Amino acid sequence: MAKRSAQEPLNVPMAPMIDVVFQLLIYFVLTFKQEIPEAHLAVNLPSRPKSPPPGTPPPVLNLTVQPRAYLLGGAPIALDRLRTELKELGALNPDVTIVIQVSQSAKADQVVKVLDACKGGNLSQLNLMTLK
Amino acid sequence: MKKRAEETLETPITPMIDVVFQLIIFFVVSAAQQQELLDETIKLAKAQEIGAVSKKDPRTVTINVRQDGSANIANQPLRQPQLENILRAARTEFGTSVPIVIRCDAGAEYRHVAKVMEAVGKAGLYRVQIAAETTK
Repeated sequence: MAKRSAQEPLNVPMAPMIDVVFQLLIYFVLTFKQEIPEAHLAVNLPSRPKSPPPGTPPPVLNLTVQPRAYLLGGAPIALDRLRTELKELGALNPDVTIVIQVSQSAKADQVVKVLDACKGGNLSQLNLMTLK
Repeated sequence: MKKRAEETLETPITPMIDVVFQLIIFFVVSAAQQQELLDETIKLAKAQEIGAVSKKDPRTVTINVRQDGSANIANQPLRQPQLENILRAARTEFGTSVPIVIRCDAGAEYRHVAKVMEAVGKAGLYRVQIAAETTK
């Protein structure tokens, strides 16, 4: 290999390098996607009635989701109030079974709000039922 | 024009390679989008009490329910019988403890979600989770 003389400048091919950099830039711009933090709320599905376990039946709390309304044990309740009620209940008895009856025409948003309120009270026995 | 016998035919390699790279990038990008299981048209409901999931079971079946009630898995639209078949297949492959995540649009009516849950129940699966966007 010939020895480079001191006067000769180092020839770096800039143009193709810039091409590649632009390619990479375009690739990353296209593939960039802001990730939305996603929470998963576990629910129990309605199942066929099994024979009840022996002993006293566990306490059950009934919640109803109607379009634009929430009912706690049959009485209408505001969502904020429901959150605090469920927090108090969860502090007393976290094992209580919650049965959430949802109207067919209620929005999924409402169901998530109620499930979220239950999780806020550390209640985990959540059963979803659909109102006919 | 007459070509001299000594002159070899020169193929322009450089622009060809450029085009090939463009194609490669195009296919890589579109394949990455196809693998994405999340339906971009869905706006999840917001939850404030529960934190984001840190790790996900690799067996998880994610079912998207759009605002108009149509269900899809990985942007593949599905009718009720197809959905049941897929869930049954998931059950035979991974057992009954396969987690099912339902990503339903906040504005979708609950009956559409209930239909998906019914299919899940029919397939004999029970681990159902409803996805929400968390603000915590």
